[in-house]
Amino acid sequence: MKNRIEEIRKAKGIRQEELAKTLGVSRQTISSLENGRYNPSILLAYKVARCFGMTIEEVFLFDEEESV
Amino acid sequence: MNNKRMIASVIEIVLGLVLIILGHLGKIDDYWSGMGGGLLAVGVLRLIQQFRYKNNATYQEAVDTERSDERNRFLGMKAWSWAGYLFLLIAAAGSIVFKLLNEEKLMFAASGSVCLLIVLYWMSYLIVRKKY
Repeated sequence: MKNRIEEIRKAKGIRQEELAKTLGVSRQTISSLENGRYNPSILLAYKVARCFGMTIEEVFLFDEEESV
Repeated sequence: MNNKRMIASVIEIVLGLVLIILGHLGKIDDYWSGMGGGLLAVGVLRLIQQFRYKNNATYQEAVDTERSDERNRFLGMKAWSWAGYLFLLIAAAGSIVFKLLNEEKLMFAASGSVCLLIVLYWMSYLIVRKKY
């Protein structure tokens, strides 16, 4: 699933380490999320969205074709 | 980490030392004294980790993050899954090779491992299906 984590994080001036610490995950997890290599659980997706003050739909982009 | 883990480490160390001493005295064979050496090493390493965890805030944070990190847990499960598949393939291939080499005991061990793994998989699947 595509997401806007890197774009939003950079726009807010947050480093990967800081975001990782806030979410209670490793920096590698943030990197994997940003690269689209790892799809988060609904709980982590919610935490990411809440950390940015946004909704899940604003951060994670649902692709109909990708889900088939 | 809690005191239970520390107690478990101390028990491992004591048990390891007892097995090593009994091995040196000739009361038990090398297999058990070797196991004692392993227990002693594991116990000492865990104890060192636990002391470090209690006294080093940075290490404590790193350990806590690693444990709570969902990707890390996902990777662990994935690695076990791959290891299981690989073991199944290797054991299945091994049973054929051992049969061709007329190594009956090894062939039965390899075939038995395949059967056991499949039975364990199905048992686990049925339990997990009810749980989730």
